Amino acid sequence: MMNSYILLKEDLPKFIKELIDKYKVFAPVDDNDVTLFKEIKNPKEMNLKYNNSKLPPKSLLFCQTETLFKFTPGTKGKIQSPGIDNGKKAVFGIRPCDAKSFSIIDPVFKEDFEDPFYLSKRENLLLVGLSCTNPYSNCFCTSFKDSPASSKYVDILLTDIGNKYFVEVNGDKGKQIVKSKLFKPAAKTDEDKKNEVEKKAKDQIIRYQKTDGIAEKLDKIFENHFWKEVADKCLRCGACTYLCPTCHCFDIQDEATMTDGARVRIWDTCMIPEYTLQASGYNPRPERMNRMRNRVYHKYNYYPKNLGVIACVGCGRCIDNCPVNIDIIDVVNRAGEVKP
Amino acid sequence: MVDENLLQDAVKKTVARKDVKYVVGYDKGTTGFQAAPTFAFEEKDADKFIFSPICVNNLAVYPILEDKPPLRRGEEPDSRKIGIVLKGCDSRAIVQIIQEKGLKREDVVIIGIPCTGVVDPKKLKNRFPGQIKSLEIKDENDNFIVTVDGKTQNISKDELMPDKCKECEYPTPIIYDILIGKEIKGLKKPNYKEIEELEKKSLDEKWKIWEKEFDRCIRCYACRNACPMCYCKECMVDILDPQWVRRSVNLSENTAWNMLRAFHLAGRCIGCGECERACPMDIPLMKLNKKITKDIQEMYDYKAGIDAEAKPLLAMFKPDDPEEFIL
Repeated sequence: MMNSYILLKEDLPKFIKELIDKYKVFAPVDDNDVTLFKEIKNPKEMNLKYNNSKLPPKSLLFCQTETLFKFTPGTKGKIQSPGIDNGKKAVFGIRPCDAKSFSIIDPVFKEDFEDPFYLSKRENLLLVGLSCTNPYSNCFCTSFKDSPASSKYVDILLTDIGNKYFVEVNGDKGKQIVKSKLFKPAAKTDEDKKNEVEKKAKDQIIRYQKTDGIAEKLDKIFENHFWKEVADKCLRCGACTYLCPTCHCFDIQDEATMTDGARVRIWDTCMIPEYTLQASGYNPRPERMNRMRNRVYHKYNYYPKNLGVIACVGCGRCIDNCPVNIDIIDVVNRAGEVKP
Repeated sequence: MVDENLLQDAVKKTVARKDVKYVVGYDKGTTGFQAAPTFAFEEKDADKFIFSPICVNNLAVYPILEDKPPLRRGEEPDSRKIGIVLKGCDSRAIVQIIQEKGLKREDVVIIGIPCTGVVDPKKLKNRFPGQIKSLEIKDENDNFIVTVDGKTQNISKDELMPDKCKECEYPTPIIYDILIGKEIKGLKKPNYKEIEELEKKSLDEKWKIWEKEFDRCIRCYACRNACPMCYCKECMVDILDPQWVRRSVNLSENTAWNMLRAFHLAGRCIGCGECERACPMDIPLMKLNKKITKDIQEMYDYKAGIDAEAKPLLAMFKPDDPEEFIL
């Protein structure tokens, strides 16, 4: 069959070693009890029993702290140009939802202004996906007509079908990878098995977010009391946005001592008052409801209008990690029912 | 078990008062395994109020979280009271805030819950890894009767309770206006075994442990915002000029943040564990707080949040205060 292969499970460590020879490889690793994508030097460091990583792999492209350039302060100050990271990297085990998030945030760093920091890393990144065979109870990628075993946004996708992986290939980067002798052509039975695994995973997803016509609906309920109801319990921390694979806001600061300094770009979050605080002291989003509404509108109204896609992939991280159970599925479903 | 009818009646009665703005309590949440803070603005809203072992949050955080946008000319501030449902441990936060003059006793109407222990959401998730589609949990003496996805089992409370419940001294709220059910006597004592183990380690070993923990911190400030004692008008970490802690997220700045916060809670932390529960990166923040609580207990025989009339620890001076630690 065209573009589909199998990789025996016993050959996986060999495959990872082949990747490590050519790339800096990032894979799910347990850091105390938290699974994160970290660089590995040995396949044994991986934990493949993860549902998904705590932090989305966006942090590999859009780093939480990025040094834009360094400088020495003062009248004779010098600027030291940034080193752009163009090393070859591979993410092994990225879930289809997180891979999709890259395609959602790409335009932000590509369209109006080309961001060399993000784009260089993006161009040099290989995505080796691993289908999600045991989705969380708050997963909802199927609400966006996607699948926990979708190969659409990765270079190659591995799906666990027992003692081997079914491998699907996308584009040139993927084709290069499956040239390795470890990959054998797949049989029709392998594909059938993959479809079976995919269906089982899809059936395990029990939550659904109703997003039909949501952008238009949101246009009509901007001033509705509903937003206050949703935000009353918000603690105004940044957990939802920092753990979101599509949130991409940042702040830029100069951090200097007497002798050296750096201009850094760090993640920002629209859930805190400072995000919109103006120099005059005026804040156009003074209350939690203003900020909560912005988060929902950015994902379900502004983004679809500007870029034609909802900026949510249904990974469920914001639901799992909100300390006060603000649940984006519930919020959007209820917004759909609010009377304008 | 807490009688939810009594609770709902108390909420109704409280919210019906002219001098009460709203009541904050718990509803069953959207996922089934995490109760959510909820608000009653009128009597009918009380019907959604619950109390069960999944009611973990410390709601004492809400009076200080309230948004107070600038008033328009001629507008009077809304000085009505806020009703809050509080467990024993949670009530200590309100006591401590009153002690620090962050709130007045008459600002709040406290609906007290004599509490027999809650469930640690992280322990629950580890006990039932991957998927919980539906959960019902009941409290029966030393066990929780847990029904997950239709299957019922008895699990010993010690297995699912957070540490704070295992060593709870104050199951009944310290102060309250209405108590739901009967007072429960606190028979447990704090357990500092884990802290003593940590104290035995060398400075190097301790640094290594904490470096590994702080390295993970993403500075979302969920710890601070979930903490009822973190109510500074402007947090030192948000101040830009002078900038005490840089915005860069790295080990050095993360360490500064976490240590500063722990010290700012010295003599004030009431041990509700909300910081640790809220932390998405599972940093064991209560170990820091507990170490300081232990030192203060030993040196000054002082416990935060148990006497609204007492002076805060850092506002007190006695000539015989120990000073061996002063260099």
